[in-house]
Amino acid sequence: MKVRIKNWTGVASWRWIANDDNCGICRMAFDGCCPDCKLPGDDCPLVWGQCSHCFHMHCIVKWLQSQTVNQQCPMCRQEWKFNNK
Amino acid sequence: MDKLKAIFPVVTDNYTLCDMPASEIEEDEFNAMVEFTETANIVVPIQNMIVNRTEDILRDKIVPQFWSFFKKNDFSRTGFQKFYNAVKYLHDSYTSFYHIYDRLLLFRKRTNLKKPIYEHTCPHSALRLILRAILFSYYYLEHDNIIKEFYEAALKMEDSEGDHHCIILEDNMDCNCLHSFNETNRKLGEMHLLEPLVGQDLTDVIYNYTHSHIQKICKDSFDTNYIWTLEKWLKNVVLNWLGKIYCHDTSPGDDPMLMFNNKLTNFLYNSYTKIRIDQLFNIIIEYPESLPALSDLRDALPKTDLKPLLTETLQKAMETRLLHPGVSTPDILTAYVAAIRSLKVLDSTGLLLETVTQPVHQYLRSREDTVRCVVSSLTEEGPNDLAYELVNGEAVRIDENTPTDDDDENWECWIPDPIDSAPSKSCAIRKTSDIISMLVNVYGSKELFVNEYRTLLADRLLSQYNCDTEKEIMYLELLKLRFGESQLHYCEVMLKDIANSKRINQYIKQDAEYRESDIPLNAMIVSAQFWPPFKEEKLELHNEVTEQIKKYTEAFETLKGSRTLCWKNHLGVVDIEIELAGRTTSYSVTPVQATVAMYFQDKGTWELEELSKVMQCPPTILRRKIGFWQSHGIIAETSSDVFSIQEDQENKDVNVQEDIFVEDYEAESAMASARDQREEELHTFWSYIVGMLMNLDTLPLERIHQMLKMFAFQGPTIECSIQELKVFLDRKVREHHLIYSNGYYKLPK
Repeated sequence: MKVRIKNWTGVASWRWIANDDNCGICRMAFDGCCPDCKLPGDDCPLVWGQCSHCFHMHCIVKWLQSQTVNQQCPMCRQEWKFNNK
Repeated sequence: MDKLKAIFPVVTDNYTLCDMPASEIEEDEFNAMVEFTETANIVVPIQNMIVNRTEDILRDKIVPQFWSFFKKNDFSRTGFQKFYNAVKYLHDSYTSFYHIYDRLLLFRKRTNLKKPIYEHTCPHSALRLILRAILFSYYYLEHDNIIKEFYEAALKMEDSEGDHHCIILEDNMDCNCLHSFNETNRKLGEMHLLEPLVGQDLTDVIYNYTHSHIQKICKDSFDTNYIWTLEKWLKNVVLNWLGKIYCHDTSPGDDPMLMFNNKLTNFLYNSYTKIRIDQLFNIIIEYPESLPALSDLRDALPKTDLKPLLTETLQKAMETRLLHPGVSTPDILTAYVAAIRSLKVLDSTGLLLETVTQPVHQYLRSREDTVRCVVSSLTEEGPNDLAYELVNGEAVRIDENTPTDDDDENWECWIPDPIDSAPSKSCAIRKTSDIISMLVNVYGSKELFVNEYRTLLADRLLSQYNCDTEKEIMYLELLKLRFGESQLHYCEVMLKDIANSKRINQYIKQDAEYRESDIPLNAMIVSAQFWPPFKEEKLELHNEVTEQIKKYTEAFETLKGSRTLCWKNHLGVVDIEIELAGRTTSYSVTPVQATVAMYFQDKGTWELEELSKVMQCPPTILRRKIGFWQSHGIIAETSSDVFSIQEDQENKDVNVQEDIFVEDYEAESAMASARDQREEELHTFWSYIVGMLMNLDTLPLERIHQMLKMFAFQGPTIECSIQELKVFLDRKVREHHLIYSNGYYKLPK
């Protein structure tokens, strides 16, 4: 017997490689989107700080804008710096 | 005295009808008699004597004779003849009395007698009164039937078109039955007996005849308007005929024709409506072909008081013909939709619809696959045409109770709610509700509806990679108009996922790093948060495929930074081509089936246990999957639990086991069932409930529901009615996770 696969359509779900499931700011799933967004993934990306915490980009930007004095990570209170890996 | 006897022969003892005063009496003879009576002062006694004798003769002779014509045992004559003869006899007797009473009238004039006979100053009226009184003091039951027979025959003759040949005596073509019929009626009319003697029977005859006529015409044909034709028929045939009978009626009182006209028109409407009501279920099923029948019914209904009957009959018909386990849900839905459409024709206020369909509503609620059927008929071509309704129907937002400001503008056209409507619900709500909202409201919650739609959409999207997303997007937009943006946001993301997947597939295939082996791999990459939960199944794919998948994942990871793929091995579609000795066939199968085939390619014979270990798939399920290939004659069970390839076609016929063919590829949903999902959702509440009870010790059902509403019911799809919560909590009580006493729940110690 010879089997030839002409086309294999598989199903996969994507997810962020992160050390948590939910965003620490909006408490929504990383694989979902922040409260202001409609579409997950490219339209509502994650960002990592140098402290290794990560958030929805929109969430952390909003947070940082609301902080007038120091730009701190809301989780560990270290100074927030984007980790551009 | 002899003169008296000659003038009024009725006073003689042995008077018979034959003793008619043969000749005209002489003027002077009469004068002498008058003179004699006046001098003897016996004017009043003579009148009394004449009246008494009349009564005696009528009672003893004529009336019994008249009734004896109706005797049952006389078979020699038809009813028509019997009645004709009876009336002829009675009329002859009446005529002879009539002449005598002519003389009585003269006598009274001469003697100036003012004393009335039975309150009648006219002796002839008195005679008719006496005749009537005596006639009906003997009442012979059989005569009803004979009179009916008489008129029935005549009516039939009138109604039959063409030549008026005699129906009563078919063998006798030149019988003048029409003439005798008219004669009989004339005689009855003269005696003022038409209405008292035959009126009731005549009415019965006409009623029966009309009823059967309507039945004959309307039987099983709903596609013509009949009410007008019937009314014309009534006027032209029945009333015309009645006119011919009643033109002889000279008795005082209301015009009988006018009375009959009203009575019969009313009867016509009544029986027509009744017949239609009995057929209503069939009429509804045949909508829209039965539209004429419906509009007839709509016109006729206000003229009768049969609305309660209609409601009751239709409800009963629905229950006996629709609401039992033998009818499939799509059929019920079809009937339900037809009922909605047709009852809207009957009653635009929607009240009737509401009352009649209430049981259907309740019944549909008890069926598990209702939502699925509704959703699939909404989005697929089917007999219900709901897709059409969706596209063309006015978009009425189901939840929004839009304030009806425009009421003030046309207040002059305001019509009050029907008298039998419940005051709590306004008419406006009923009017605006269209078919889809009614169907959705079957479940009372659109969340459930949207969820089901999501599941069906997910199934459709996953089962065919090249799904017509354009069409799906169109439907989604239409549904959004009804259910609102937020409800269907998830579905939107799902469709977007499919579009994105296609792009990513293309991108990855162009990637230089990505090398494709003999297995062309496409992926549907879904956002798990937005799709309904998938059914979990374990499956170890074949090495080749796993390799390929690994490569694909790597390519994806480089394409989309910080993201990876979790494959659902058991989901997807595989196009496979199997080449055996002398034949090549193509199939579209599930990954499990494909994997089975690939393993058999490596090794011709497998034990079930062994393969199950390699594929990490339970033997029972695996056996079912192998069944697919068995049914196609590619794999056979050579001995118990041992399967091997069937290379030769010769053996195929022998070993094909049609009965184990399991086409589970299309039928099975990839999604977790609605019940499983709901279970999952309710389970998320459990931790909240435990927390609550830990802090507050005991709580009643309402408080728990309230608190859950405050804290736990979040997100668009999670909601839980108080009943559902009760069921959930009661189950927990049964499982000894909770204690229930005095209406309070608490945790076991």
